[in-house]
Amino acid sequence: MEAELEPRSRRLFSPAELLAARTRDRKVAQCSQGQKDFIPDGSEEQAERLHRCREEHWQLLAEERVERLGSLVKAEWKPREGIVELKSPAGKFWHTMGFTEHGRQCLLPEEALYLLECGSIQLFYRDLPLSIQEAYETLLSQGTVSLLQYQVFSHLKRLGYIVLRFCPSAVPSQYERQLNLDSYCKSSGKHHRKRKRRSSPRLQAKKPKGSGNPPECEGTPKKASDSCGSPSHPASGRSCLPEKSKESDPASGEVESAQVPTDAAQLSKPPSRSKAQAEDYGKAAGDSCSGTHLPRWDFNRIAFPNMASDCPHTFLPQPDERLLPENVAGREADATRWRKLVNQKREKLSRKEREQRERESRYKSSVNADREVRRCSNWQEYKLLLKQRSQRRAGRRPSHLWDQPVTPLVKPDQVASAAAVLQQISVLQPSHILDGASRLQEDTEGMKIDFSVYQADAVANFKKNDPGKPYARMCVRRFDEQIPSLRAVKQLACQSEDVPVIFALVDNGDIAFYSFKEFKLPVDIYH
Amino acid sequence: MIRIHVLEGTALVWSAEEAREIRERFRLVGTLVGALARKPRQNAHLGLPLQLLPEEARLLAELGAAVLVRGTETQPPAEGEEPTQASEVEAYRRELEESYQEQQRLAGAEREALLARLAERIAQGRARRREQRGETPDTVEDSGLLDSPFVLPHDAMMVQLPTARRCLGQVERVDWTSPSPDWPHPGRPAHEARYRVFRELWGRGYYLSGGSKFGGDFLVYPGDPLRFHAHYIALCCPQGDPLPLRTLVAAARLGTGVKKTLLLCSPDAGGTLAFTSLQWSGLQ
Repeated sequence: MEAELEPRSRRLFSPAELLAARTRDRKVAQCSQGQKDFIPDGSEEQAERLHRCREEHWQLLAEERVERLGSLVKAEWKPREGIVELKSPAGKFWHTMGFTEHGRQCLLPEEALYLLECGSIQLFYRDLPLSIQEAYETLLSQGTVSLLQYQVFSHLKRLGYIVLRFCPSAVPSQYERQLNLDSYCKSSGKHHRKRKRRSSPRLQAKKPKGSGNPPECEGTPKKASDSCGSPSHPASGRSCLPEKSKESDPASGEVESAQVPTDAAQLSKPPSRSKAQAEDYGKAAGDSCSGTHLPRWDFNRIAFPNMASDCPHTFLPQPDERLLPENVAGREADATRWRKLVNQKREKLSRKEREQRERESRYKSSVNADREVRRCSNWQEYKLLLKQRSQRRAGRRPSHLWDQPVTPLVKPDQVASAAAVLQQISVLQPSHILDGASRLQEDTEGMKIDFSVYQADAVANFKKNDPGKPYARMCVRRFDEQIPSLRAVKQLACQSEDVPVIFALVDNGDIAFYSFKEFKLPVDIYH
Repeated sequence: MIRIHVLEGTALVWSAEEAREIRERFRLVGTLVGALARKPRQNAHLGLPLQLLPEEARLLAELGAAVLVRGTETQPPAEGEEPTQASEVEAYRRELEESYQEQQRLAGAEREALLARLAERIAQGRARRREQRGETPDTVEDSGLLDSPFVLPHDAMMVQLPTARRCLGQVERVDWTSPSPDWPHPGRPAHEARYRVFRELWGRGYYLSGGSKFGGDFLVYPGDPLRFHAHYIALCCPQGDPLPLRTLVAAARLGTGVKKTLLLCSPDAGGTLAFTSLQWSGLQ
């Protein structure tokens, strides 16, 4: 058996050959022997052309990489961490690839392998340089990057794109973008660790940022609800509320009017939701870049006094000293004087505002001016009133129209355009891929987004810490695998927010890219 | 004996000679998936390794022309265990040093030869410069063409980044007849059906390659794909498997669109293969 496994020929160059390689031709000639033939006819000409083509082909394949030692960056493979550490300063590739960790310059395995194939680095393992084959077998068998993913990665890199690993927690949700939080997060360095591997154990040990930062605290639970999409949390949030409002009643110990539970419930709503969501988020995704931590206060038990003018009690007892800072002493207060000042100042309107109000008063009226509405003391009664009113209105419908088997499609006050009428009779509603996507449970049939791809012409402005919005996101699959279900596609689109997801299908070395394209069916009416 | 290195169920060939033999002697094409050494940053021409279809690898193994192997030193060392490779490291360093000395010597010789060739012109240039400066011509200086011994900077040395493994020490055979994590294909019905079709068509003298570009299982060429276009798109339809009409129409349409004939191949349990070809004939 040993004899069979002997190397065929050692393709190692002598020093003379190495030196001669300095003046090698760097062009690749096209096998342009004319158009392809249709059928082999056994002619000499065809055989000759084929022979020439093949010779060129083998000549190109047989060439080996010979580089100047000074232009090679030395790198070492660290199997335990699964990354490659640079031992000499990085070259031009550092602009778009690599990351810094503990002051060392490091590369991800796929980046290192690509650079090795390009002849930019020399990869060492246990002090010996790795050949390309050994590098493939060593770096790609660790489970972090598969051969398929590497093939897609290198294909895109060779085309010139900037390809980064996808980190789901680094995608700003739509809400964050709406609040312009993503630029804030970038400057605060919230996402600066997204270059790390997703499964790094160190990420979980990182301290959460800015605990005293309400927007961030609010933003992250929102993001959690978008990305995790677990349906349990809204239900749990809602079920929490009535319990908590009941709880705050006896816990306050102060006399409260009927409005206080709603106040306390509203106040406790964001933190309790954030608590429930924080738990879900912690369970669902173990690698959050900045985790939310539970607020120090149990807002179920802290009751805020009612200062409105309808509450007859104006005497406020001393607050619990646990709620106050150390050097502040609380004391009792009589709120009568303050109560008189609250909301008593007359509003001064400018002339324009007065005119507008006058115009509006002709046809608009405030909801609170309605006597029947003022008689309602809570939401329930108000909704009942609305229902009664709509029923009364419905009772005024002409019977010759509405009591027939065929009734009118719309009421006169319901529609404002022909398009709205069309909407009533449409059979298919247009749907966007992200409709309902956030509510789906996280079970994408094993599919995940692997890479974020950035355009090649953005290289000049590319910043590794702040790459911006990618051109597309890649999901790498084998060609013979099952076509994904709509549910899985929706979940991936949801993970990727507004960046299109492209599926890279690899069939034994051939890569094809597929994506879903959105289009609108033309509507025959202009609205 | 051709060595096919398997990596996660993929068959790779790392040697250019073996790739040549596979193509010229065995009529198997494969796909190149690595970067070309000469010009790595483009996708038009790729280089080694050559990736073989599972069917191609199995065919070579069945013919006895190749053996499937896998590397064994890919696992990270256990805790606290650093294998002593001092001798190999030493050998490598010595080789590097020798190469450097040799390159220095060769580069020096080259430079000398170059200077000797241009000696006359150099002398003329120096004389002219001296005239311009107004000095007296000194013939003693002319002999000192090489002022100092030539030193090749260490960084200017050329090194090779080998493509294939240097030493074959740590490989072991993989059995291609039974499924394993490295080679999971044996026993899978889809693979078996495809292999039967592949073997039959190959046996008839065609060249075969992957057919995903055209919606089929294989592309069938009358000659080397370097010079000829494919004639058939082969689609494997095992007997008994339902074939919806939609799929048939889609495949036939695709074939017509690219001027190829659709070939439906049905391996049955008995060992025979039925071929049906579909071609657009128009309504005459």
